[in-house]
Amino acid sequence: MTENDDKNKKRGGLLGFFKEFTYGMATHGMARQALKTRSSMEHLFILITMGDMLGVPILPPYYSMRLLPYVVPQITTWKRRMLRERDMIESLY
Amino acid sequence: MPLAEIFSKHPEHRYIMFGGKGGLGKTTFSAATAYYLARKGHRVLIFSVDPQASLSDIFEQDIFGQGKVELMENLFACEVDADRRIHEYQDQIRRKILDMYGMSEIPEEIESYIRAASAEPAMEESAIFDAVVDIVVEGGFDYYIYDLVPLGHALYYLSMGAIYDAWLEKITGLREQMRQYDEAISTMKRQGQTSEDQIYQELLDIKNRIGASSRIMTDPKRTAFYFVLTPEEMIIEDTRKAAHLFSQYRVPINGYVVNRVISRGLLEQNIPEYLRHRIDMQRGALESIRTAFGDRVLAYVPEFDSEIKGWAAIKSLAEVMYEESLP
Repeated sequence: MTENDDKNKKRGGLLGFFKEFTYGMATHGMARQALKTRSSMEHLFILITMGDMLGVPILPPYYSMRLLPYVVPQITTWKRRMLRERDMIESLY
Repeated sequence: MPLAEIFSKHPEHRYIMFGGKGGLGKTTFSAATAYYLARKGHRVLIFSVDPQASLSDIFEQDIFGQGKVELMENLFACEVDADRRIHEYQDQIRRKILDMYGMSEIPEEIESYIRAASAEPAMEESAIFDAVVDIVVEGGFDYYIYDLVPLGHALYYLSMGAIYDAWLEKITGLREQMRQYDEAISTMKRQGQTSEDQIYQELLDIKNRIGASSRIMTDPKRTAFYFVLTPEEMIIEDTRKAAHLFSQYRVPINGYVVNRVISRGLLEQNIPEYLRHRIDMQRGALESIRTAFGDRVLAYVPEFDSEIKGWAAIKSLAEVMYEESLP
């Protein structure tokens, strides 16, 4: 019994490790890239709906206000990202 | 074709609008039409999309911000209190933020945005636009009579639908793309289903509301738009330009109603030179109107000797416009 269990665990562990390994090799980079693009899109979205927060007037505030509650947690990082200075080195990454 | 005939021939026209430059008689014509249709036994709602509405003045009853007020049998009127609507709307947003994140107060930068956005001049118009969507979508009336704002604003009001539409088209597209990314990421990370995007749902809802409103404004089956003008060259010219612009927004223009025509019969009486000149000027202008709009002019309404205000005046105007004596 115990031997079997150990075997199973080992196999599962091995399989799990293998899964993690291939994920790391093949898709982790892609997923990371996709997440990065996704967060850029999120910021673009806030810009086109709440742009007037940064002084970029964008139509129409009445309806964009309806979306405000959903982006409250992202507002601070978005503002920081939009308003920060950019340098040459950054574009290398 | 007389106005009354158009109404009896086209009972499917449910949204009636009178447009034109300021002070030519849009509100009086709207009120008279509402009175006429209500007396004919239809359920009528007349409402104002003007922040400086004057329905309260013409009906001599304060209806501002009181919802749909029944003025007489079958006749209801409504003046939207845009300020109050904006305040209620702001509070709703604040409450939603507090509830969603369990906050005890709104973060400073969010609060200042809410306040700044509400100070925008477009806010009031948008609020009224939104209120009208509510009124029209709710239904319950045979006729809806829009007491429109002066021409420039009316164009803005009409174009707002198109602008909103284009704007929403773009951001809904972006949101949809974001959703696809979410799905791809969770597949790659072997996570389960992504949660439903609430923003996307909100956007679709906003889109539907605006769509409903602009569909009505440009529906030749259900909507009839009438231009109000007076016999003066400058006004004729402006009306012609406006009619062109309106048709570009695909607003179905049904015809023209000429207001303030001074009776030619006066010429046979002993009248002052001043009046003689005005009648002469109007004769030339009426000629221009006939060449410009031809048989699309549906009625010539005479200049009344007193202001159209109160039920008696509304009734006599309706009788002249629709050539029929009313109870």
